[in-house]
Amino acid sequence: MIDVKQILNIAHYEIMRIFRERVLLAILFIVPLLYASMFGLVYVSAILQHVPLGIVDLDHSQESRAVVSAFENTPNFQVIPQVSTYADLEAGMKNGLVRAGVVIPADYSQKLAQHQLTQILTVYDGSNLIYGFNTRKYFQQVLNTFSAEHTAAYLSGLGMTKQEIVNVMDTVSYSMQVWYNPTFSYATFIYIGLVLMTLQQIGLLGVGLTVTREKEENSWLQFLCAAVPQWKIFIGKALPYFIANFFNFGLLLWIAARFVNVKIEGSVGLILLLGLLFDLIIVSVGFIVSVYFPNSLLVTRYFMLISVPIFVASGYSWPSTHIPAVINTLLRTMPYTWMAEAFRLLTVKNLGFEYIADKIMVLILMAAATTFFALTFSKRRKPPAQIGPVVNSALDYPNKNF
Amino acid sequence: MEPVIRVTNLAQKIGHKLLFQGISFEVQPGECFGIFGTRGAGKTSLVHILAGIDRFKSGQVAILGFNIKKTEKFKRSLGLVTQESSLFRDMTVVENLDFIAALKKASRAAVREMIESFQLQEFLTKPVTSLDIGVLQRVSLACALLNQPKLLILDEIIKDIDLFSRNLILQELEQFLAAGGTCVSTFSNFVFSQSFSKVAWLEGGEMTIYDPEGAQAEWNRQVKYYAEQSGRYDD
Amino acid sequence: MMIRQCWVIMQRELFYMWRDKSLRNILLVGPLLGLLLMAGVYSSQRIGNISTAIVDLDKSSASRQVTTDLKNSQNLQVVAYFDTFSQLEESIKRGEVIVGVVIPENYGKDIALQRQTKVAVLIDGMNIIYATNASSAVLTVTRTLGAQVGIRTLIAKGIQPNQAQEAYQSVAFPEEAWFNPTANYAYFLVLAFALNVWQQCCTLASCMTIIGENGRRSWYQIRTSGISLFKLFFCKSFVHIGILLLTVLPVYFLAFVVFKLPLACGWSSFLLFTLIFILALHGLGTMMSSLSPNAVNASRYGMIIALPSFLLSGFTWPLQAMPQWLQHVVWILPQTWFFQGVSFLTFKNPGWGFVSHYFLALSLMAVLFYSVAALRLMVSDFPHKG
Repeated sequence: MIDVKQILNIAHYEIMRIFRERVLLAILFIVPLLYASMFGLVYVSAILQHVPLGIVDLDHSQESRAVVSAFENTPNFQVIPQVSTYADLEAGMKNGLVRAGVVIPADYSQKLAQHQLTQILTVYDGSNLIYGFNTRKYFQQVLNTFSAEHTAAYLSGLGMTKQEIVNVMDTVSYSMQVWYNPTFSYATFIYIGLVLMTLQQIGLLGVGLTVTREKEENSWLQFLCAAVPQWKIFIGKALPYFIANFFNFGLLLWIAARFVNVKIEGSVGLILLLGLLFDLIIVSVGFIVSVYFPNSLLVTRYFMLISVPIFVASGYSWPSTHIPAVINTLLRTMPYTWMAEAFRLLTVKNLGFEYIADKIMVLILMAAATTFFALTFSKRRKPPAQIGPVVNSALDYPNKNF
Repeated sequence: MEPVIRVTNLAQKIGHKLLFQGISFEVQPGECFGIFGTRGAGKTSLVHILAGIDRFKSGQVAILGFNIKKTEKFKRSLGLVTQESSLFRDMTVVENLDFIAALKKASRAAVREMIESFQLQEFLTKPVTSLDIGVLQRVSLACALLNQPKLLILDEIIKDIDLFSRNLILQELEQFLAAGGTCVSTFSNFVFSQSFSKVAWLEGGEMTIYDPEGAQAEWNRQVKYYAEQSGRYDD
Repeated sequence: MMIRQCWVIMQRELFYMWRDKSLRNILLVGPLLGLLLMAGVYSSQRIGNISTAIVDLDKSSASRQVTTDLKNSQNLQVVAYFDTFSQLEESIKRGEVIVGVVIPENYGKDIALQRQTKVAVLIDGMNIIYATNASSAVLTVTRTLGAQVGIRTLIAKGIQPNQAQEAYQSVAFPEEAWFNPTANYAYFLVLAFALNVWQQCCTLASCMTIIGENGRRSWYQIRTSGISLFKLFFCKSFVHIGILLLTVLPVYFLAFVVFKLPLACGWSSFLLFTLIFILALHGLGTMMSSLSPNAVNASRYGMIIALPSFLLSGFTWPLQAMPQWLQHVVWILPQTWFFQGVSFLTFKNPGWGFVSHYFLALSLMAVLFYSVAALRLMVSDFPHKG
């Protein structure tokens, strides 16, 4: 009974601290919202459409206009009328006016009429491969349709009836189904990864300062010289951050599903379990770092810098099958890698427990290990030493109020 | 009777600097034990070891019969006032008292009693950062005494403070000793040497124990010696 | 005397940065480590060998032909053969294969009898980078396969072989990826991500400019010495900017010389562009530094902007796909100008007329940020302590 009271007291004063340090309060409750809305706005359109396309029609025949209209009639492209010559296309591609181009040769209709091989050049901008890959896919789609129309026209020229043509052309039909994300929504793909990274960063930056701050203000000695056991200090100090993070987890997922239209399926129980495990790991790691790092500036600096490398190398965007084994192995030590993958399998693929059991197991082990170290940190500190002319690495950092 | 503090062969190294090279001493119940040394002699480092805050290199430290490397139990009967204030800067006086009472599992009644004894009523809602040093030290001592410790460790508590506060603090300390408490206190101004039952002189990583008169004699000898050197510096 | 004073300040600033161990580590190691990691991550350069599984329910010579064609296709790699659809489904669920092709029963017979038959192609859409590449590969293969079957059908119907060919193949569609002809993902992202890490390291350094001075007790020494603050911070900033430029040089060396990433615009314009960006970024950091009561908050303010700036810059997910108003708003960040500029300069070299806007905008930002910092310093430090 009294035990719980002591923990709640520590938690109570930690909460008071959070509310008194307004920047910290903002980092815990406003920045996640800010980031989530910002990323949400960036990806809300979700599907890359209206790729600016320049068409160079050197033929100006009825046949070539058929090609042009094939591109005009798809929402995937937006034909930019300013481009009409090859030079325009080159200039437009250079200054970003267009991101893709189609060149119809001058002898197009002539060769078609003579049943000679002719070619339509398709060009896409390789400097941004999100444009590039999507454009290539769109080209393939338009051209498949266009080819089919062409074949049908040719066969009808041979005197075949409509039904005959359909029979020939549909002898083999290919149905391409894209599972899990059929609309190629970029938001469904990337947004959750960013949200989880935001939660990790906010969590670490919050709880990461909880002990360093006390060290800087010397009040850490009050904890060390009182008979209060270390596990109570950890639970008490980490509890507010744990709750705040979990609240943010729910809030950001709600934003994702409600406003950014991210696909979130799967069992709510498992989503909550993953959230709790991830939260526990973040809070424990942050606390441990806070206990062993000398000051808040170092914690802030190092924690800030880890987000990009972890996100890029985790295999969340560029698939881990195409990343060298060394980097994969290294990144498997990061909880984010497991969390992001498990979460995506759960919410996008809507898989059951048995498919992510291994990942949950790893997260449980990580949570167990990190909480163990956080609960049993040593209450005897290494005495702070003055070692040579070193700045910002010991107990203090530049602060106007000191 | 078992000593309250028994230090055997304590060595401490901070960074690359060997601070203590095997010091030993004992503090008996009811004693008021003074630790003297100039700045940098290691008084605060020694206090931090005794209070179970810092790790140390080697040696044995037993407080109230507990080996402090093995347990935290002795901290229940410990009070500490640090040289650099260790109160919570983001809190008011009353919040500090309340929170530290929670950490020490002391009662609300103890808090009220301390407010009374140290005459803190008018400062309760003030942030500790705005207090004068005298009031600050009164709050610090009040916090240290919340758990009714058997051993009180003080680091330079009455240096440079106003006379009213100093008087109040000394009065409370006398009461504490009279009630059977043991006190260890550092000091760097020799004027205070006579208030202790024993004086431990820290210098060059070694400790010498004097009774107050002996310590005074040694002080006088050194003062005289340097005066005779008349301004020439010894190597 | 004047020059000596500047020299002493600059020397001291160098020492200060060197002795700040974490900052030293971050500046020396951060950007390089970032580049090496990114180069490692994207070392396979393109998404080839997409794991493909085939469920051949027919096992005729016609269906084996499909299998062979799939095996020969450029980006698909057939890694498994399953007997049932549910095995394939399971394998896609487990992420072992990305593409599945199901050839129906009686496929060969249906084709021979010119009855309609349907080949199902399934793609795991969970990872879009995979899915987009897989779809393109599949669309190309199916067009070829469709043509082959169509031609055979026509010939079987008694149409002349050359006519049958013409019906399907009179238009070819060669594709060209300009500026990055092999659609190399490493060209696209390695340098950009490394520079993203670098600009974050720079932000952390810049955020110390002012608070690193007036947040220390030695500030009293500076204020009582009577040295002009303009001179002090000018000299300090000079050193910072020099160091930030130095830290990017090895990154550029590795990127352009060792890893041979494209640099269309040439070294001098690119370095000049980088320098202008450093001015703007350092200005931003200095401004944050002047607005903060301590170094931690300065770092926080700086990084809250620096962290998402890459995503907002439109370097990956394009600006044109963002809401209209946001497309304009993101240009208030120097990072947007920088990353957009990096894209245009390294791949396209669109010429001075185009890039001059970028130089102008970044310079104006630098002036603005430094002015705010100077104003804030004057307001906060002169009346009280002066």
